Amino acid sequence: MSREKKEKKVYQTPAEKRKNIAFNILAVVLCCLFLFPIYWIVVNSFKIDSEIFAKIPTLWPHEFTLKAYGEQFGALGTTLKNSIIIAVGSLVISMVLSVPAAYGLAKYKIKGGKFFILIFLTTQMLPASLVLTPLFLIFSNLELLNTYLAPILSTATISIPFVVLMLRPSFLSISTELVEAAKIDGCGTLRAFFKIVVPISRPAVITAGCFGFVYAWNDLAYSMTFNTAENMRPMTSAIYTFMNQYGTKWNSIMAYGVLLILPCVIIFVTMQKYIVEGLTSGSVKG
Amino acid sequence: MPDSPFQIGGIAVKKREKGRWVGYAFVLPAVIYMLVFIGYPIIYNWVISFQDATAYTLKDAGRAFIGLTNYQTIFADPTFARSIQHTFIYTIGCLIIQFTLGFALAMFFSKKFTLAKPIRGLVVISWMLPVTVTALVFKFMFSQDSGIINTILMNLHIIDEPVGWLLSGGTAMAVLIIANSWVGIPFNMLLLTTGLNNIPLDVYEAASIDGATKKQQFFMITVPLLKPTIMSTLVLGFVLTFKVFDLVYVMTGGGPVDSTEVLSTYSYKLSFQQFQFGQGAAAACVLFVCLFIVALIYLRTISKSEVD
Repeated sequence: MSREKKEKKVYQTPAEKRKNIAFNILAVVLCCLFLFPIYWIVVNSFKIDSEIFAKIPTLWPHEFTLKAYGEQFGALGTTLKNSIIIAVGSLVISMVLSVPAAYGLAKYKIKGGKFFILIFLTTQMLPASLVLTPLFLIFSNLELLNTYLAPILSTATISIPFVVLMLRPSFLSISTELVEAAKIDGCGTLRAFFKIVVPISRPAVITAGCFGFVYAWNDLAYSMTFNTAENMRPMTSAIYTFMNQYGTKWNSIMAYGVLLILPCVIIFVTMQKYIVEGLTSGSVKG
Repeated sequence: MPDSPFQIGGIAVKKREKGRWVGYAFVLPAVIYMLVFIGYPIIYNWVISFQDATAYTLKDAGRAFIGLTNYQTIFADPTFARSIQHTFIYTIGCLIIQFTLGFALAMFFSKKFTLAKPIRGLVVISWMLPVTVTALVFKFMFSQDSGIINTILMNLHIIDEPVGWLLSGGTAMAVLIIANSWVGIPFNMLLLTTGLNNIPLDVYEAASIDGATKKQQFFMITVPLLKPTIMSTLVLGFVLTFKVFDLVYVMTGGGPVDSTEVLSTYSYKLSFQQFQFGQGAAAACVLFVCLFIVALIYLRTISKSEVD
């Protein structure tokens, strides 16, 4: 921060100004190229069939239509509901378990603390495909297949380690005196946690919640495997089935895609600064 | 257990003990959850891989143990060997592209210009999107008939007629690598940027006073000082790429024929298309061993600096 402030005061020579402009232009071009796939999803969702099937794709819909969206709405209700239930359920489990865990690992000297961190670090790296078969057999025996519980319980395992690792550093920076002072004032440990620790770290906790939601919302492997019944599928596995059925009706597929990326984009745009920071600390630091 | 005000020494002891229990109460639920839903299934996965587990024996309480039969079956299957090969080709291809371009972008955006920070943040959005949608849009862009990539390349006269990118093995793998890099490049950039920001500026100032060129500064200062970050970025990138499932499953389904089959899709198909759960578990165990070795390397590289 201080580094940047210093630079703003420095007088820019004409050569530096030109360099600044050139770099900005290059950055904008790179950014546009990079974000093109997102543009392509959105633009094609507004095209009519004949434009989609044309040999030469148009960069902009010549005839703007919402028909592709209209065709989705019949099937959409159930899958949207399923996606929301799964993502919110997973978010709740993940937050209830991992926010206290991150705090405990940051602020309490417990035996095996390092080992627990290692458990989160390793489990974070293990993919769904490792546990799909055993979890399928376990859920099958518990009669949990084709219920909301199966994808909720399994997708929470994606976000818990990430959230713990992401939140621990921000809890480390809370001053212990503050919590102690609250306790002296008669606050119990739990109350101090909810009334002081969580509010102080609100941006971090909210960011963690966003990741908890997005990880479950984006999941395909678990939901597709455990919930094969059509009325229990979330949007990710529904769009995949849809693609297999309708092959090249790309306007409909992309309309579905827009609805699927919408929450992620909204979360990203509103919380960008925190998300980018959280992504780094959740992925690498212990 | 009411603390009597008379036992002053006792209170102190109790307080410390209580403190420890509170710590465990905070941490253990999450740890137990992960052990139940990830730890136990991984162990159970090994058990299944030695069992005669198919759709017919799914509900049986005691499935027969059949030793190494599942492993023998998959090792005898040429597709298995090919899927291991594909997984490595895919991972290494992705790592090379992601890392070099991610590094280049990290260097570029560490220059001081007005839009450096906002745009650097913006490109990370690809990381937030569902891989399913990423896979679909790349499939669409690279499709033979109405794909934008074919149109662009034909207008540039690089190709004469539309290419069926996903219809032959080599190009399908290339497209998979490109699609994955779209997500991987910003991620690598982000991690490397964090490392770059930690290098103190005065080191460069001192070097340029001593007459070091930009190239010398890069190889003599940036790379050596960035080495820990480079190591963890590469290893983390390896693990995250090696485990690929959604992208391949949605874009090519392992095809055409089995030319883009990777370990995770191979295991998935055995378990959930052929209902050979034992064999699917055995393939997943092979995937586990590969990941575990890399994970150990990763934990060793970061354990000194990060966990403490």
